[in-house]
Amino acid sequence: MRSHRRMILALLAVLLLAAAASTLGSYPVYLMSLAMINVIAAIGLNLLTGNSGQISLCHSSFIAMGAYGSTLLTARYGVPFWAAIPLGALLAALMGALLGAPASRLRGIYLALATLGFLQIVQIAIEEFADVTGGVRGLIVPKAALGGVRMSEYARFLIVLGCCMLAIWTARNLLLSRVGRELNAVRLSPHAAQALGVSVHRVKLAAFALSAAYAGVAGGLQAIVVGFIDPVEFGVSAALRQITFIVVGGMGSVGGSVIGAAVLSALPEALRPVKEYSDVIYTLLLLGFLIFLPHGLVTFWQVIARRLRRYSPTAAAEARP
Amino acid sequence: MTLSLGLQLAIAGISVGSIYALVALAIVIPFKSSGVLNFGQGEIVTLGAYLALILTQLALPYPMVIAGVVLLGAAGGVVIERVLIRPIVKAPEFTLVIATFAIGLLIKGVISIRFGDSPNTIDGPFGTEPIVAAGLRFNPTSLWIFVCTALVTIGVILFLHSTRLGKAMRAVSVNPDAARLMGIRVETVYRWSWAISTAIGALAGLLVAPLIGINPEIGQLILRGLLAAVIGGFTSIPGAIVGGLAVGLIETFSGVLIGSTFKNLVPFILLMALLVFRPQGLFGAGEIKRV
Repeated sequence: MRSHRRMILALLAVLLLAAAASTLGSYPVYLMSLAMINVIAAIGLNLLTGNSGQISLCHSSFIAMGAYGSTLLTARYGVPFWAAIPLGALLAALMGALLGAPASRLRGIYLALATLGFLQIVQIAIEEFADVTGGVRGLIVPKAALGGVRMSEYARFLIVLGCCMLAIWTARNLLLSRVGRELNAVRLSPHAAQALGVSVHRVKLAAFALSAAYAGVAGGLQAIVVGFIDPVEFGVSAALRQITFIVVGGMGSVGGSVIGAAVLSALPEALRPVKEYSDVIYTLLLLGFLIFLPHGLVTFWQVIARRLRRYSPTAAAEARP
Repeated sequence: MTLSLGLQLAIAGISVGSIYALVALAIVIPFKSSGVLNFGQGEIVTLGAYLALILTQLALPYPMVIAGVVLLGAAGGVVIERVLIRPIVKAPEFTLVIATFAIGLLIKGVISIRFGDSPNTIDGPFGTEPIVAAGLRFNPTSLWIFVCTALVTIGVILFLHSTRLGKAMRAVSVNPDAARLMGIRVETVYRWSWAISTAIGALAGLLVAPLIGINPEIGQLILRGLLAAVIGGFTSIPGAIVGGLAVGLIETFSGVLIGSTFKNLVPFILLMALLVFRPQGLFGAGEIKRV
């Protein structure tokens, strides 16, 4: 009953968002699409890092695979975008599994190094195979069309909105299922998980493939929304931006991914007057959260409440026996 | 490949390798003592290059520039350790990886705001006229880099083995709790290991600037330094040096042997292969973290 009510509330919120967007100009709608694409990517990364506890510095590489995979399918073989995006995501997931097979046996800094190396390999591959990928000059993405009609900014927004809701819904259910409990168990205590019959290696590998699949969807959507892709978009700084989303939002929580990605996607617009400082502000924010609020914005009210309780005289009196 | 070409390439490889070795050394020292791998070390190198630029523009003589870069680099390390690393030194590894990464980006961001993306240059101390000996041409700057790397390495090894602080550092790297019980101030050791590491990183920036110019992207060097550290086994000082030289040689020779398209891929494929098959490196006997 309770979950039904939440479902209806969520649907209402989505309809409201879609209705509100229909009244806005194309630029704000475009920004909202980008923010939701960031949400999808953040959800994927959070499953890997927040839940299964594996550092990844190459999430942007999987976004690149989704973007390049789906764009090339459309541009070269005329595959429509609604088929190309899932295929791009599949490609990303396969590559995720390929990386996960060795990487899931590594931990900590060794995993960070391996994923950093992987990011560089993908980056160099995109730049060097310029015949296919356009190299450093980038690639123009064919305009997404449905039934021969070119889609408007708002139509693309609706598709991104649908994918975003699907991503939130699948990730939430996944975390409530056996898979989610296994992911968390592997993070909290790999030995205990192993002892209880969870195949730690398999779960970690699956987490890589799963997070890459979300990244692949985000990449495919980014390609059609932005209309242009180049390797700079998928480098180390992009990977760190996605990590910032989940650190600021809250590790291991779907809500955290949504809040973090949404808030930080709006930030560059808010910082427009001090544009040249935006990178520095972004990084300071990341450091600040790591040091002062390591569990992210989702715990903000809890932390504030705890602080207030500690200082309020009534609570102190109650605490006394 | 003729012998003289081979020798010429070897010289070039060793001179870039010396820089990688310095970066690897700067990565290994704090990792050995505090277990923190500084992913922002590349930007310390960038910082060193810009400090050298500023001091050179003040028309200071070269020895003063070196002293200034090293001292300011060390001071930067002390500040970073105290303000940003100490509050989270006990945090999970993820936090430390991301925090050090972020420190690097912060330095890079500030440098970009202050100096823009346009490249600058400074001259080496001995000009650019190549030295010709036995039919081989040496770039004097390359030779100077190699000499400095050798001196720094010898200095670090002597420091670790024959000074009180160096011995304390080694004790902390073996067992911080036991070291603390023996009366060693672990925080002091951490602070000095960061100071030494960032001083070496900044020196690497000063040395490399005449070769590759000064721009905010110098920090990319860290990838080669990390590979060198991985080859050396992460906790071994001689390993880091050998690793750095090896990366320099591999890079130079692979450029000639397999063409420039795949040249850039070689170090990273090597990195992945090493991490998968031999994460303890070729020199280290350190713990392997496998699940």
